[in-house]
Amino acid sequence: MSLFFLHPLYLYGLIATSIPFLIHLLNRRRVKRIRFPAVRFILLSQRRISRTYRLRHWLLLALRSLAVLLLVLLLAHPIFQTGVGLFAGGGSLSLVIVVDNSLSMKWSRAGEGFKQAKEAARLLISSLKDGDRVALVPTNRSERGEIRLRGEREVLLKELDGIRISAGTADFSSALGKAYELLREPAAQKEIWLMTDMALTDWDRFSIASLGQHDPLIPLKIIKIGHQGEVLNATIKEVKTQGHGVGVGMPVQLQAWIVNFSDKEIKDLPVQLNIDDQAREQKLLSLPPRGESEVSFLFNLAQPGEHNGYIMLKKDGLAGNPTSYFTLQAEEKLKILIVDGDPQTSLVQSETFFLTRALNPAGERGASLFLPTVIISEGLGSVSLDSYQALLFCNVPVIPDAFLPRLRNYLQKGGGLLLFLGERIQMDDYNTKLFQSSPSILPARIREKRNLSEAAGEKIEGADTAHPALQGFADEILKESLRSARVQGYFRTDAISGSTLLSLTNGDPLLLEKKLGPGRALLFTTAADRDWSDLPLKTAYLPLIQSLVSHLSGGQRGKMDAGITVGEGKVFSFPPSYVGKSVRIIKPDRKEREITFAPNGGKASASFQENDLAGIYRLVPAPGEAQGTAQIYPANSPFLESRLETIAERELKAKLDPIRAEILPLESLEKGGKRSDLSLPLLLLLIATLASEGWLAQRF
Amino acid sequence: MTNGERSYFDPLVLARLSNLYLRARWVVEGIMSGIHRSRSKGFSVEFEEHREYSPGDEIRRIDWKALGKFDRYFIKEYEDETNLRAYLILDTSASMNYASNGITKFEYGCILTASLAYLILKQQDAAGLVTFSDRIESFIPPRARRGYLMEILRAIERRAPSGETNLGKILLEVAGKMKRRGLVILVSDLLDEPEEILKGLRLFRFKGNDVVVFHLLDAAELDLPFDGNVLFEDMEAANLKVTADPQAIRKIYRKVVEEFIDHLRKECRENSMDYQLLSTSTPLDHALVSYLGWRG
Repeated sequence: MSLFFLHPLYLYGLIATSIPFLIHLLNRRRVKRIRFPAVRFILLSQRRISRTYRLRHWLLLALRSLAVLLLVLLLAHPIFQTGVGLFAGGGSLSLVIVVDNSLSMKWSRAGEGFKQAKEAARLLISSLKDGDRVALVPTNRSERGEIRLRGEREVLLKELDGIRISAGTADFSSALGKAYELLREPAAQKEIWLMTDMALTDWDRFSIASLGQHDPLIPLKIIKIGHQGEVLNATIKEVKTQGHGVGVGMPVQLQAWIVNFSDKEIKDLPVQLNIDDQAREQKLLSLPPRGESEVSFLFNLAQPGEHNGYIMLKKDGLAGNPTSYFTLQAEEKLKILIVDGDPQTSLVQSETFFLTRALNPAGERGASLFLPTVIISEGLGSVSLDSYQALLFCNVPVIPDAFLPRLRNYLQKGGGLLLFLGERIQMDDYNTKLFQSSPSILPARIREKRNLSEAAGEKIEGADTAHPALQGFADEILKESLRSARVQGYFRTDAISGSTLLSLTNGDPLLLEKKLGPGRALLFTTAADRDWSDLPLKTAYLPLIQSLVSHLSGGQRGKMDAGITVGEGKVFSFPPSYVGKSVRIIKPDRKEREITFAPNGGKASASFQENDLAGIYRLVPAPGEAQGTAQIYPANSPFLESRLETIAERELKAKLDPIRAEILPLESLEKGGKRSDLSLPLLLLLIATLASEGWLAQRF
Repeated sequence: MTNGERSYFDPLVLARLSNLYLRARWVVEGIMSGIHRSRSKGFSVEFEEHREYSPGDEIRRIDWKALGKFDRYFIKEYEDETNLRAYLILDTSASMNYASNGITKFEYGCILTASLAYLILKQQDAAGLVTFSDRIESFIPPRARRGYLMEILRAIERRAPSGETNLGKILLEVAGKMKRRGLVILVSDLLDEPEEILKGLRLFRFKGNDVVVFHLLDAAELDLPFDGNVLFEDMEAANLKVTADPQAIRKIYRKVVEEFIDHLRKECRENSMDYQLLSTSTPLDHALVSYLGWRG
């Protein structure tokens, strides 16, 4: 039951109700002075008249004010409403129905909420009169079609049928902004109806400032769909992999955090891992009330390339998004050729012992991303360098003359070289062949050898953690581990600014880099084994070697991608050759879209905004365009969208202030309502008031 | 009465005459010309009855004609052996200085009093004057001699309205000063306690005087024709002020004034006094004709 006004601006006229009182006060101030002989008669008259006179006087004032009040109310056109329904007064109505189709609506009212919201919208559309116009605005739009006010019921009902629950969070700012924009068109009456489950997550994002231009006088009716009863409510909060990289044949450990939003414990919740649409593993999990638990899966990928996967909560009656998508980029193992310049009969004393263990810690061939092969210097003549992503020289005395052109060629094609020095190397040979000859391969000239006592060894002080190969060493533990190493023997080199990645406390370079076209060469001025340093015994050694070798191999190590949040845009950056070319994007619902690349900072880039569904998106070259590598990426619903907590009505009204929002339960609309135009009774009352005022005024 | 005759007695026309004598003469002569035939009707002392002579009576009072008829001595008895002694009592209090239509009650009262004095003296009767406010301002005992009129008129002209009315007390004082009975003519707005006024008037009657009351009121005092919110300040009592909406109280006011007048009129009638209400817009001949009516 409520009272509202069709022209509420006229209500400012209520100030005018004070006019009779103001006139009365002004008249009281404006007094004529008259000298008069018969004042005693006036006093007598006043004494006789005072009570009834004052009563009449105030009655007259009250009647005049009432007349002004009634006139103002009449102009404001009051409507009295019982129940809920559309405006039934005179004039055409412009109505915008905003439908909350965010993911949380899926679980409202035990799964029936969205259907009921659409039924309510259908009810409103059905009760339209001729001349009324309606627009339907979903909070999450997937189609790019034009939204406009229209009067054709059939078209509107069809539009309504087309609104589906989205996978994202409701964008009330955008939807309400669109509603106010539509209602800028002149109309006798304007209303906005919003069907929502009032999910806290959705409304948390909303602020009146983000709404932009709006007319607070347009009534906003919020139909509260809400959630009924206690439901089990859980979702997957996060998925990520453990360890370094994802490679073919190597075990991948995937961890998922499952969160329970309900007040009850969820027991034996089946959590299933799917890779490439095949169930790999299922585990049972118990979730404490309002808590979260972790579950991990271990699996291998047999094929290189991109794989899609998802983790699913498989329990009936569970509210909340049960699926979290991800992609895996599995790399082939990186083949690494290690040339041992000081082979020993004892494996432990071998120059390459620590190096190979660092690249393949488990010692099994399938457990590491790296596949190291150790040869001796003499084997360089027959080996095919192109089979290896990186070449590691360890204490190799001289560079064979015949090998040098092949090495240059290898580096020019993008290969990577890591040189460890040592007791056996011939400095002049290195300088002559690798530094002085053009193009030089060494980053700096090798100067004299330094051998210090173990106690007087130099510490590693400087590390260029901004360099891609050493970014992991920003971690304090690794940094400290690196600092704890002592280097007793090394070759001094010229310090080259910008090329030194690691340096000793005395400033001498320990690790230098030189780029050779797409290839690159790294020079470690000490030995790979522990003859000249204790670095191989330090925690930092393994990540340092893996990181350097990975860097030399082009940086690709395989990875997991948890993707973007539904509704976010996805930006693609491709080589410049893609400029002007188009690619297709196949959405999870198999619908295709096309994007075209434009030049952007020396690269070709394009963005795709229509990520409105949760699932795997595939990027494939458009027919007739240059073929490229297929790419996939996942999009997931925001995990908080599964939280079914609702915003308090008072808080929502405060958020919407100064918009006049009325929050109504869904049932009130279903029951219907009645509206009465109060203009005629007010007019009659005004006439009666004016007649009474006239009659009373005559009595004075 | 024609329009011309009406203007002849119009108080505003009379007020334009600077000389009070002229004003009085203008009025009286005008009336006299209108009632010429009754002019000889007795203002002289009138015969009342015969009684038989008893020793000690004056011989000159024996009615010799009656002796011839009845062969007995009769003495002629008269109601009053002297001329009419009229006391003109004029109110000169501040309240008399009010005018809403150009002529104040005081001016009207002056012309009326002067006219009456002229008329009385012209009839060989004695006229005296008392002016008062809260006290007796002047007291001129009645005389019938020639030239006495000018003395009375000068006394009136010297007065200017001021002071508060204390009519009841004044009337008692005047009554005390009157040595012989006569005619008391009171010209006043009577804006005092009615019972005090009536007490004084009754004393005159008790002493055998005839009393004529000319109650002067301005038209505005009768009708309260003002608009808007008005602060009324009393013309006599400085502290007496009241703010009122005349429109709102007019009806009651008229009733109050009417009750006041009715009360005075009724009391005068019951005490055989002549009461005449005069608005300052009333032509003066009405007042004099009313007086003559009393005399007639």
